[in-house]
Amino acid sequence: MSDSSNLKSEAIIELMKQHFSTDAGKELVKKIGLVYQFQIAPKKIGIDEVVYTVDLKKGEVTKGAYEGGKPDATFSFKDEDFVKLALGKLNPQIAFMRGAMKIKGSLSAAQKFTPDIFPKPSKL
Amino acid sequence: MAMRDLITGATSCPDPSASSSSQNPLASFANVLTGSLSKTQERVREIPSSNSTGSASQFYSEPLNQLPGSEFDKPFIEANSQGSEFINRFRSAGAAGFEETWGEIQRDGSQLQLYDGRGQLPPQLHQPALDGTPQRVLSTFLHSFLDSSRGGIPFHPTSLPVLGLSEGDKQCIRDRSSIMARHLFADKSEEFIHAQVNALLSSLDIDSNVRGKGPMPERFRELDDYWNESQGNVIQGAHASDGWISEFSQNRERYDNPDAWANSFEQQHGVNGWVSEFEHSQLSSVDQMRGMNMQNIAAMEQTRMLANTLAQNADPKFQNSKFFQFVSKMSRGELIIDENQVKETALPAPGDWASEYQQQYNHGDAWAGEFLNNKAFSGVRPEQWAKEFATERQQNGAVDDQWVDEFSNLRVNDWAEEFGQQVGEGAFGEDSSNNWAQAYDEFLNEQYVAKQRSDSSRGVYVFSDLNPYVGHPNPLKEGQDLFRKGLLSEAVLALEAEVLKSPENAEGWRLLGIAHAENDDDQQAIAAMMRAQEADPTNLEVLLALGVSHTNELEQSAALKYLFGWLRHHPKYGTIAPPEMSDSLYYADVARLYNEAAVMSPDDADVHIVLGVLYNLSREYDKAIAAFERALKLKPQDYSLWNKLGATQANSVQSADAIMAYQQALDLKPNYVRAWANMGISYANQGMYDESVRYYVRALAMNPKAENAWQYLRISLSCASRNDMLEACDSRNLDLLQKEFPLQ
Repeated sequence: MSDSSNLKSEAIIELMKQHFSTDAGKELVKKIGLVYQFQIAPKKIGIDEVVYTVDLKKGEVTKGAYEGGKPDATFSFKDEDFVKLALGKLNPQIAFMRGAMKIKGSLSAAQKFTPDIFPKPSKL
Repeated sequence: MAMRDLITGATSCPDPSASSSSQNPLASFANVLTGSLSKTQERVREIPSSNSTGSASQFYSEPLNQLPGSEFDKPFIEANSQGSEFINRFRSAGAAGFEETWGEIQRDGSQLQLYDGRGQLPPQLHQPALDGTPQRVLSTFLHSFLDSSRGGIPFHPTSLPVLGLSEGDKQCIRDRSSIMARHLFADKSEEFIHAQVNALLSSLDIDSNVRGKGPMPERFRELDDYWNESQGNVIQGAHASDGWISEFSQNRERYDNPDAWANSFEQQHGVNGWVSEFEHSQLSSVDQMRGMNMQNIAAMEQTRMLANTLAQNADPKFQNSKFFQFVSKMSRGELIIDENQVKETALPAPGDWASEYQQQYNHGDAWAGEFLNNKAFSGVRPEQWAKEFATERQQNGAVDDQWVDEFSNLRVNDWAEEFGQQVGEGAFGEDSSNNWAQAYDEFLNEQYVAKQRSDSSRGVYVFSDLNPYVGHPNPLKEGQDLFRKGLLSEAVLALEAEVLKSPENAEGWRLLGIAHAENDDDQQAIAAMMRAQEADPTNLEVLLALGVSHTNELEQSAALKYLFGWLRHHPKYGTIAPPEMSDSLYYADVARLYNEAAVMSPDDADVHIVLGVLYNLSREYDKAIAAFERALKLKPQDYSLWNKLGATQANSVQSADAIMAYQQALDLKPNYVRAWANMGISYANQGMYDESVRYYVRALAMNPKAENAWQYLRISLSCASRNDMLEACDSRNLDLLQKEFPLQ
């Protein structure tokens, strides 16, 4: 809220950002070593998208498109679906099958995108 | 028959008249369709007695040289279809191709001497006699079944000699033919398909009802729907010879309506469906390859052929694999290869179509319920075809490599190599089939849960089915007692009985909401709290609880609304909250007001609690932790406050501190499911998946309805390389999970 957007996904993305400072987060960087770009739309894919870059090479999360060249894979979702996916409520294969997730870029990179790369939010 | 030739149709079919070489795409097409046959043949060969000519001669005395339906086996031409010219040309070659197919089958069995021995020759090569060894009889019989589909006429039962099929063979044929029939007769009615399959099976003396139901379980129908969706999509784009781009813009409207394309496909391609389409695209792409050198169009053609080839692997799991989707996408021109990069082209319509389909789909939960009824039955089969798929893959391994090589020549190295590698590693074998099957199961599950949950996600409370507390003289008191004892799931039942009895009882709803929140179910908590708020709009505890639950669900604006409501209805701070502010709430304003309140009464723990929640909303975790710590000094026995502190610490990656705070909460309230689940999350976020599994299992043992915990458990199990327990997780086998993962 302090930085504007009302996307639920932002909470997950922010959590991810902090996660990279932990050992588990660094392990993730070692394991995956790719750059993903997420384009998250509030209601409909492609409309009013907010772009995040999750750099699993350097262990960085930034808002906006990747500036170091081309991301290995770019994913487009609706806000709702991204959250479901990150929380393990939606299987990526199914999301893709149903058109809830669109992928651009390398297939091998896309296949490494699984719910377990996201830290889970704890509940108050 | 090498897959290579299917992909490089250009080289193997340079001239339609020369296509009767042994490398004929149609021959392999037929082989692909009858893929199970080779295995059956091998098995039958192992049965010594079944090779006797006795059965063959017994059969030969019957006048069955003319195959049922074979009189319809003539070129199928659609006068109005575009590119029918190609079909004509191809057909002239195609007949030869079929002869070749039959010829191969005959030679394989090396049974032609049989005819010689009897001084008789079959009248026509492409109408083979049902004669010879059992495997040959079976082979020709199944081919005739396939052929009957071409004319779209009913397949009549035929008496065959005793084939000595084992139960396994029968099962295999039954399953395969059922699945295949769905594809072959996709445009036919259910009855027709049943009749066809039953005719085939009764001829082979296979009981179509062995599994207690028709040959096609609901599950497969659903899979086939998917298959047909993707199939239809691929085929729609296949008029390459006429310029698919202009074609596309003409057809655009059709894409908008899922029914429309199905109809139009039927109109254009009639009964032959994708079978003829395949031939068509083969041919047109030959022309394409000759006439043009445009790389993208060529690549599209190649992928289209590949897609079609892959499509004939009549295996729905494969049909839905990522690779196949990718190929399909390329073949539709949605992805193009440009200087070694895969690019997506602007093609909005399919997306619209997809979302539309999805919308429609989401309304139809009927089949999910239907599936569940049949679950016990159909649960057996997927494994079987998964195995079958895996064996087939192994057999075809070498061939796959060939076409991957071939395909990578098109400079699609990136993913082609990847795929080749995967084939090499066997990733497309059992593993990926299982994954896929699992994914589908999850999907069904999700649909089912969604059906159940769609009510509660809209804020409607979902009651338990069988409630022993209904009729209890004082369920509220009972619920309060149970809640105090920490028996949350029991308390939920008693309180449900209470609010059923007196729906306006705000306290019943409130406590029910609290119980759900402590049971780690925020959606039900929200639903109950909303009812409580209806009954008592100014209850501060209810407003705070709603604020907390919406924060947990990441619903910021809703959370902000209720937290502002708390301040506004507070007897002491209500004055500092201007009522008109609720029209347009900004986080900064609300936070400022609460800070004012905290200055007014620094010893009010509740103000610090709300502040802590607010800072969680804005992800200012340090401030949130400070606020909760201040509140804890005033209320050290509040277990939910310890949990709030822990969760905040966990979200700001201080997992070690978080675990200490959760431990405090659990010391005060051992059955606090939320804290157990949060423990699991903290361990998982630290990469300690084994520990996290134990805590999730512990939480679930207390509340098996905690959906989040099940999902997290699944992720942790696979991260901990305990895939062996995934099934127990999916089937929610808590006994097994608890035995396997006891908490020390």
